[in-house]
Amino acid sequence: MNPRQVAGLAIEGWSPEYGTPVEGDPDEAPAAHVDAGAEVPEDEWRPLGPGPDTWVPGCVDFVDGVRRIEARIWITGADGDARLGICASYAAGVVRCDRRADIRAVDVGRGFFGLAPVPDLVTRAGNFAGCPVSEDDIQQLVNGLQERMGQLEVKVAGAGGPVGSEALIILDGPLRGGQRIPGAIGYVKSHRVQYLAAAPRAVVASLAPGQRSPVFLLQTKWTRFSWYMRLSEAAGHPWAGIVRCEAWSESGLERVRKLADATAAALPKFASEPHKDDRAPQNLYPIAGLERELRRRLGDRGMVLRALQRAVAGFRP
Amino acid sequence: MSEHSSSPPIGRVIGTDPATPLEFWVAVSEGCFLQLDDVLVLERKLPGRGEPVRIYGMVADLRARHEGARFDSDVFLIEDGVLPAQVTEAARVLATRFEPEVFVAPVPGEVVRKATGEARDQALFFDGMKRKVPVGLSRDGEIVHANIEFIDGTRGAHVNISGISGVATKTSYAVFLLHSLFTSGQLGEAAVNTKALIFNVKGEDLLFLDRANRNLDGEQQARYTALGLPAQPFTSVELWAPPRPGDPSAAPRTGSRSDGVTSFFWTLEEFCRDELLPFLFADADDERQQYTIVVHNVTAKLRREARPVGDGGVRVGGVTCRTFEQLIEVISDRVEGEEGDWAGRAIGGGTVNAFVRRLHAARKDVQHLVRGDVPNPGKHRLDFQAQLAVVDIAKLSRRAQRFVVGVVLRRTFQHKEDTGAREPLLFVVLDELNKYAPREGRSPIKEILLDIAERGRSLGVILIGAQQTASEVERRIIANSSLRVVGRLDSAEAGRPEYAFLPPAHRQRATISKPGTMILSQPELPVPLVLEFPFPAWATRPDEAAGAESAGDGDGPGVGSGSSVADLFEGLGE
Repeated sequence: MNPRQVAGLAIEGWSPEYGTPVEGDPDEAPAAHVDAGAEVPEDEWRPLGPGPDTWVPGCVDFVDGVRRIEARIWITGADGDARLGICASYAAGVVRCDRRADIRAVDVGRGFFGLAPVPDLVTRAGNFAGCPVSEDDIQQLVNGLQERMGQLEVKVAGAGGPVGSEALIILDGPLRGGQRIPGAIGYVKSHRVQYLAAAPRAVVASLAPGQRSPVFLLQTKWTRFSWYMRLSEAAGHPWAGIVRCEAWSESGLERVRKLADATAAALPKFASEPHKDDRAPQNLYPIAGLERELRRRLGDRGMVLRALQRAVAGFRP
Repeated sequence: MSEHSSSPPIGRVIGTDPATPLEFWVAVSEGCFLQLDDVLVLERKLPGRGEPVRIYGMVADLRARHEGARFDSDVFLIEDGVLPAQVTEAARVLATRFEPEVFVAPVPGEVVRKATGEARDQALFFDGMKRKVPVGLSRDGEIVHANIEFIDGTRGAHVNISGISGVATKTSYAVFLLHSLFTSGQLGEAAVNTKALIFNVKGEDLLFLDRANRNLDGEQQARYTALGLPAQPFTSVELWAPPRPGDPSAAPRTGSRSDGVTSFFWTLEEFCRDELLPFLFADADDERQQYTIVVHNVTAKLRREARPVGDGGVRVGGVTCRTFEQLIEVISDRVEGEEGDWAGRAIGGGTVNAFVRRLHAARKDVQHLVRGDVPNPGKHRLDFQAQLAVVDIAKLSRRAQRFVVGVVLRRTFQHKEDTGAREPLLFVVLDELNKYAPREGRSPIKEILLDIAERGRSLGVILIGAQQTASEVERRIIANSSLRVVGRLDSAEAGRPEYAFLPPAHRQRATISKPGTMILSQPELPVPLVLEFPFPAWATRPDEAAGAESAGDGDGPGVGSGSSVADLFEGLGE
C-alpha cells in the first residue's frame, strides 16, 4: 500500500500566507549571459526615442493572472505522516484596450497542491482539483500554483479573440519558457536583478519618458531579448519609472526592435498615478483594473475558507 | 407560468444592497432600460408552497455607475480606454403588492420583468376596482385609474390638491378630474344628475369651460383618446358673476366673457331670513372677539323682525330698507340707540362699537351683493340647474369672497342635508383652502368646510380642495381627503409632515414637477403614482375659445404640434 495514500486532511490554523514567499517570481533568475550589444554596440548605448515611422499599436492586450492561497492543509498519509499541501485559487484574464478598455476573457481555477496522489476537494466554493507537485515544501507548492496560473494565462490569452498583427500583447511579469503566448511581451515592474554593466545602466537611468534602451540579449534557461524603458517622470531614485520588457528571441531582432519601439510609444499612456496605485507608475492602469476584477472573481476569502473547512471536515478518503 | 411571463426579463434583483419586502434594487440587463414609474413583477418560489409569490413594484429611483472605478477621475481613464470598467444600471423598486400576501423579501438573482396588461393592473390594484375613473396617463402612456368608491363617498371621499401657484396646474387638474368623472361613464346613471360647483378665484381661467380650446392639437387629442375620454368642453355650464358695483340693474361684472353670464346677489329678505349676517364676520380672528355675541343677537333679531316688502326689500321696525346701507343704518340705530336692545344685555359700549365699525367696513364690500332694489330678484338667485356651475369671485374683495363662499356652501350643504340622500353627488371645487379653512382659528366658513369634510361623504357633497401649502390648511380637512394630489411643491414645503404620504424620491420629484404632471396618492396603493394629464380641451383664456367673437377668422394662431406640453400649460395659472 502506498504510504502516501491519503488517510485524512486538516486545515492549518495559521494564516495561509504565513511562511509563504509573497512576492518574487521564480522565473526572474539571475542571467547567466547578457549580450548588451545585440542592437547597438555596448559602448554606443544611448536613449532611443520613437521615430516618425514607429508603429503605434491601435490595440493593446494586457494579460495577467492572480493567485491566492486559501488554506494550508495537512495531509495525513496511510503511514501516519502529515505532509503539507495548499488549496489555492487563481485566475487569469485579458483586457483589450483599443478605444475602450474591455475585459475580454476571465477564467478562474482552484487547485489542491500536494504530493501525489492528492485528491480533488469538492467544496461549495468550487472544486479544488488535485494538482500533484514533486516536493511538499512551500516553495515547490507555490511553484506548482504559479505554473497552473501561467497555463491559465496562456489559455485566456488565446480566448481573448484574434488579435492580428495590429495588436501588442503585454504579459504582466517576465516571460516563462514553458508557457508561451505567441507574440507576447513580458512586462517586469521591479528590478531585483542587475543585468547590465555600469555604463549601460547609466544610459537606462538617463532615459526620458517614452524612451527606451537598446535591445539586449538575455540568456538563462532560455534566450530572450530585453530592453528598459521609462514610463513617466517619477520622483525619487534614477530608476523610478523604469520597466523592463522581454520578447522571444525567435521573433528576430528586427521584429523585436519594432515591438520595443511600440512599447515605448504605447505604454506611457497607461502608466498609473501615485495617488491611485501604490505601485505607480509601473503598475499599469489596465493591469490594475484587471487584477481587481480577477481578485473579485476569486470570491470572498472568508467564504472560500469556510467552504474548505466544511469540505475537509466531511472528507472521507 | 402566468401571463406576465410573456414580457421578456429586464433585470435581476441584486444582492449587494439588501432586498426587503418593501424596497429592493434591480440591476438592469445589458441592452435594456428602465425609467421611473415603470411597473415590475417578479416571482419567488417558497419552500412547501406550490404557487409562487408574485411581487409587484414600481421604479422609484435609478442609478448608473462604473463598476471597477474607485476615483472620480477614473471616468476619464475609462473613457480613454485605459482602465477597464463596466457601466451598471440599477433601479430602486418600491413594492406595491404581494400576491398571495406573503410578505417575503425578493431573493437576489430573481428575474424581474416589466408588468404589462393584466399584470400591471394587478400591480397597481386596478384589477380590484369595480368602478374606476381615469385620472391621467403614466410616463409610458398607460392609463392611471382611481377608484371611484374613494371619491363618491362609498368608501371615502374628497380630493385635496397641493402645489405652487402658476406651475402646479391645480385648478386645471381639478377641472380635468370633473371632466373625467362626468364623461367616463363610471358614475353610471347618476352621472346625469351629478353636479359640480366651482369657485373661480383668480383671473378668468374658468369662464370658458363650455368653449372648445382651439390650441388643442392632435397630439393632445390623442391623449384624451388614450384615456378613453372625449376631447370636448363641458356641455352643461352656467356662469355666475357678481353684479357691477353701482349698476342699478345689477348687470354682471365680467371681463372678456360677456354672454351667458348671470349676475348673482342675495336679497335683504334672504339676508335676514337665512341668517347671513355672521358670514360678514368670517375673519378667522373674529370668533375670538367679544362682539360675536352681538352678531348672533342681531342675526336673531333680524330673522324675527324683518318683514318682506317685495322685490327682496324688508321692513324692520317701521323702516323700509331697499339697500344694504339702509339696513345697516337700521341695525346701527338698534344696537346703539337709546331704546335699542338688539345688542343684548350687559354688552359694553366698546363691544357694540367694534361691531358697528365692522359692519360699516363691510358695507363697501358687499352692498352690491346684498340688496332689495332690483325687480325680479329671483333670477339672480344662485340656483344651480346646469351640471357645472362656475361662480366667479375673482374680482371681489377678500371679505366679499368669504361671504359668497360661506353662504353658497352653507346653502348647498343645508339643501343636501334636507334631502338626506347621497345621490345625486355634488362636487365643490375650491382653491385657496388656506384662506377659508386655515389651520389656526375658527370661522363660520371653516366650520362649514369641516362639516363637508367630515359629513359630506355621507351626504354626497364632495370637496375638491386645493391650496399652495397643505401645511397651512386645517388638518382634519386634509385628513378626510381620500385622494391626495401634489403638483410642483416648494422644496421647503415638500419636507413638511403633511406630505409624509410621499416617499422621499417622490418628494424630490414634486419639487421639479412640470405643469401637467401630478403625483396622486390613493388609499389602496401604497405608492403614489406620477401621472400626466392632457392639456384642457376647454378654453382657459378668451383667445383659446374657439368660435368666440374674437376668433372670426377660423383656425387663427393655433399652437403647432411641435410645442411641448409645458408650453401649452404656460400662462395657464394654477
